[in-house]
Amino acid sequence: MASIALRNLWARKLRTFLTGFAVVLGVMMIAGTYVLTDTIERSFDAIFTESNQGVDAVVTSDAAVDTDDGNEPPIEEGVLDQVRKVDGVGAAVGIVADQQTAIVGSDGERVGGNGAPGLAFSVVPEEFDPLSYSEGGPPQADREVAIDAATAENEGFELGDLVTISGAGETRELELVGTATLGGSESLGGATIAVMTLPGAQAVTGKQGKFDAIRVAAADGTTPERLAADMTAALPDGIKAETGEQDTQSQKDDINEGIGFLKTALLVFAGVSLFVASFLIFNTFSITVAQRTREFAMLRTLGANRRQLIASVIGEALLIGLAASGVGLLAGIGFASVLEGLFKSLEIDLPKTGTVVEARTVIVSLVVGTGLTLLSALGPALRATRVPPVQGLREGAVLATPKEGRIRAAIGAVLAGAGIGVMAIGLFGVFGGATALGLGAVAVFLGVALLSPKLVPPLAALVGRPLERVRGVPARIAHENSVRNPGRTASTAAALMIGLALVSFVAIFAAGLKGSIDDAIEESISADLFLANTDGFSDIPSGSADEVAGVEGVAAASLLRYTQYGVVDGTDDSDGDSTGSMTLIHPETAAGALTLDWKDGSQDLLTEMGPEDAVLDEKHADEEGLEVGDAFPVITASGEKLTYTVTGTFEDKTDFIGDYAASDANAEAYGEELTATNVLIDLDDDADADKVRGEIEGVVEAGFPTVVVQNQQELKDSIGAELDQLLGGIYGLLFLAVIVSLFGIVNTLALSIYERTRELGLLRAVGTSRRQVRQIVRYEAVITALIGAVLGSVLGVVFAILISRPLADEGFTLTIPWVTLVVLLILAAVAGVLAAIAPARRASRIDTLEALSYE
Amino acid sequence: MPTAHQPAVKGGAPYTWLAQRLRSVPASTYPATPRKGPELNASPIVAADELVRVFGEGGAEVRALDGVTVDFPKGAFTAIMGPSGSGKSTLMHCLAGLDLPTSGTVTVDGAELNGLDDSELTELRRDKVGFVFQFFNLLPVLSAEENILLPLSLAGRDADRGRFDQLVDAVGIRDRLSHRPAELSGGEQQRVAITRALVSAPAVLFADEPTGNLDSNSSEEVLALLRRAADEFGQTIVMVTHDAAAAATADRVLVLVDGKIVQDAAPKSADAVLDLMKQLA
Repeated sequence: MASIALRNLWARKLRTFLTGFAVVLGVMMIAGTYVLTDTIERSFDAIFTESNQGVDAVVTSDAAVDTDDGNEPPIEEGVLDQVRKVDGVGAAVGIVADQQTAIVGSDGERVGGNGAPGLAFSVVPEEFDPLSYSEGGPPQADREVAIDAATAENEGFELGDLVTISGAGETRELELVGTATLGGSESLGGATIAVMTLPGAQAVTGKQGKFDAIRVAAADGTTPERLAADMTAALPDGIKAETGEQDTQSQKDDINEGIGFLKTALLVFAGVSLFVASFLIFNTFSITVAQRTREFAMLRTLGANRRQLIASVIGEALLIGLAASGVGLLAGIGFASVLEGLFKSLEIDLPKTGTVVEARTVIVSLVVGTGLTLLSALGPALRATRVPPVQGLREGAVLATPKEGRIRAAIGAVLAGAGIGVMAIGLFGVFGGATALGLGAVAVFLGVALLSPKLVPPLAALVGRPLERVRGVPARIAHENSVRNPGRTASTAAALMIGLALVSFVAIFAAGLKGSIDDAIEESISADLFLANTDGFSDIPSGSADEVAGVEGVAAASLLRYTQYGVVDGTDDSDGDSTGSMTLIHPETAAGALTLDWKDGSQDLLTEMGPEDAVLDEKHADEEGLEVGDAFPVITASGEKLTYTVTGTFEDKTDFIGDYAASDANAEAYGEELTATNVLIDLDDDADADKVRGEIEGVVEAGFPTVVVQNQQELKDSIGAELDQLLGGIYGLLFLAVIVSLFGIVNTLALSIYERTRELGLLRAVGTSRRQVRQIVRYEAVITALIGAVLGSVLGVVFAILISRPLADEGFTLTIPWVTLVVLLILAAVAGVLAAIAPARRASRIDTLEALSYE
Repeated sequence: MPTAHQPAVKGGAPYTWLAQRLRSVPASTYPATPRKGPELNASPIVAADELVRVFGEGGAEVRALDGVTVDFPKGAFTAIMGPSGSGKSTLMHCLAGLDLPTSGTVTVDGAELNGLDDSELTELRRDKVGFVFQFFNLLPVLSAEENILLPLSLAGRDADRGRFDQLVDAVGIRDRLSHRPAELSGGEQQRVAITRALVSAPAVLFADEPTGNLDSNSSEEVLALLRRAADEFGQTIVMVTHDAAAAATADRVLVLVDGKIVQDAAPKSADAVLDLMKQLA
């Protein structure tokens, strides 16, 4: 029987190829994801390991709260002397290791800056220096700088050039004296490095008299563990000492958390593609096995038992699955660089040292690819071989009885309903969260797919009737062909449905998100202009507000700092373990720039806000049971505990402010004195807006290269552009699933044409032109694609409505982007036309005589 | 070479109604409406000259047609007979523009087929030729009516409703028009196929074993229908068959053996046809 399986594969090369190709695409994404993320992980590992070369222990502040910008509060210079007094310390050096210092490129814009840090280091003695200098060396004087080799190359900087370095403290023009690499990686994932002397680095980063960390080498005979323990005991509260290894590990853990998210996201998309591929595989096996029913019956009359027949089909699936998974694995290694390119086009540069193919990548790819193929083939194999030999020998044995169809539809309906239920459970946080959402969605897709044989005839009529009116007989025949085997059309369309449901869901969701962000900006912000980071989300130096306030025509430049606070829950150990978001405002100027939707209080509360006052988001106040006059404690990033008195409440649907707003008098405690999220600028009523803006831009360009001036519309646009970029990436990944489903259409059409050879021959004999035959095939593809698109759009809308429910409280307004949906339908139809090209050509070239000959 | 022959006079009471129906069809809708069979000196509607059709190459070469020259006059009902592999189907395919001869020429209603490309051949089949096959005559997804109108629809032409109605009534399938082929009996299916072949008033109707798949009652019905089409419409018909009774319905019987015409006669009964065949053996 094995040789029969092999011969079948060979005899139907095209079918084998198309089925295998679906598996290849899915496996390719899985393998590509693993290869890419493993490569990134290893690159970062190398970077971090090398960063702590020669370091036995690291002393840093013990941040009470994780802040969103990753900056830990610096420690006072005096701690260095305390460290040196600890027994077992061989050498100790205080360093600046800042993450928000930009290098200004040759075009006057900051280099990189899409979330990747702009690192600034102070020079360290050679024994601690993780950098390898490719040209020149470390800076010797305050007017000198060394930067990473990648930036120097990209920007065309050469030794001796003046390079502008801009930090939270100052912006300086320094002479380039060296270029360096870290961890042997050419790219640092978009991060830049500027190395300055200690005083220089402190001034630029605004950390005069402070260090970000102290690096310690142990004296002979002292273990790093012992050293770290001794230092922890000797140093004051709020300062911690770790071994170099621990520090490296915690940095790795941080970055792996980030990569882990990326990996999960990519694997989800890979899963979607494979899920779609499984429909294709299932459908192909269903059709081919049905076509071979007579062959099976013949084999059975010759004495083959059912198990042997099943083994033959499964053997075929096993071969396809293994071969395709192998090809997919190889393709995935190449695909990793395509993914990397995709991220690069989104301006997310990933570090890369060399392609990493872990054994896990190989095993998962082969097992998942082969397993899925086997699973998809099992059902059709069991079904076809259940046909008794006699029935198979009759012309046109029918496999699915109407009763079977009804049971399938019923199961489908139940499954879809249960899926929506599980999604709701995940959404409303009963349990499971994202996992429940995902499983629910899978159940809905499967349910609708099972149900769709019943949906195909009406949907085909919906699409086919108008087409018939325009295109006549070929469209009529295409329409009829699409419904003569509803199950087949249904699972072909269902594959496309999945991709399109996700695409339309993302489109609807993004439109809603954009709308609610726009609303939030319009409602809350009354400022005329804003200062923001060029990358749209990093902080900007707070000094920019003072400079801008000095421009004539500016009524007020108000600092706004969106940051994190630690929740105080009573036990000292766990204080700050959970965090919330809040906004620091500048009371003297806030009222003119920021308008809150007051529930209890008025704008005056902003102006009159004392250092211990806070106004609360009504929702947060309700959750915590706080009322005006109540007091509540928080812990800040620096570990300081503050107690606020509630002076008012406001409604903040979009969570623009966070849990509460308080005075920036305590900015230092929050670790935010040098930076701000935005500066809101209020102009004098009689000021010439354009002229003032021009002057503000002049001031900003001169001193703050990381800052950009925007008006309300520009702010909205830039947020919109960021979202669009993210959307582009998601569409790119979903595109693969859609491609797989198009192969499904190609495959189904090719197999159907093979079945309908005689009909096509008859059509040709009675005067159907080749062009008309192509039309018949093409229209069937279009009808199938549109059924998938309609089902997909409807599911996308349902998902969007479902998921927007819990977000409604937060101002998420669901707007259905009809234009986008119509465009999707048109694209689906075009995709159908494309998918039909090869099958249509094949159909039109059928040899009329051969088709009509009676064996 | 056209042979002088007399139309076999068939019919009788069961067919009178059909004749009446056919007669009531307006004459202008037909290419010709001779009442008394083909005229002897009528110009041929289909002609083959020195047709050779070779399949395969070298040692495996098969000469399916080996120099066939034959004319089919307007209004003649001709049966082509012959043993399996004699080339009768190949002859029909070449005459109908379904297959191209290796050498020789075919002319259908004044058009020489050799020079036509695929789309011109398609148009010729659509507009000038009607087909009735043994199996797979009808598209399973279309109703009987849609099947009948298929060639016209493909051409983007509207059917002549009067002709359609009268044909449908004559053939007796009016109450089956909305049914799909799967819901029709074999005889009904062939009647629908004949209606389709006639509705566009083709220059010639080719029938390939039209009764090969039918029981004897249905067979008779179908043959009578073809006979009537020839008599009352003056429809030129070329029918390939291996059934002597079917061949006896025709005006003229050609017998093919090994790709050559070995007999061209006008036997009057099935027995005469059988005699003809016996002579070959």
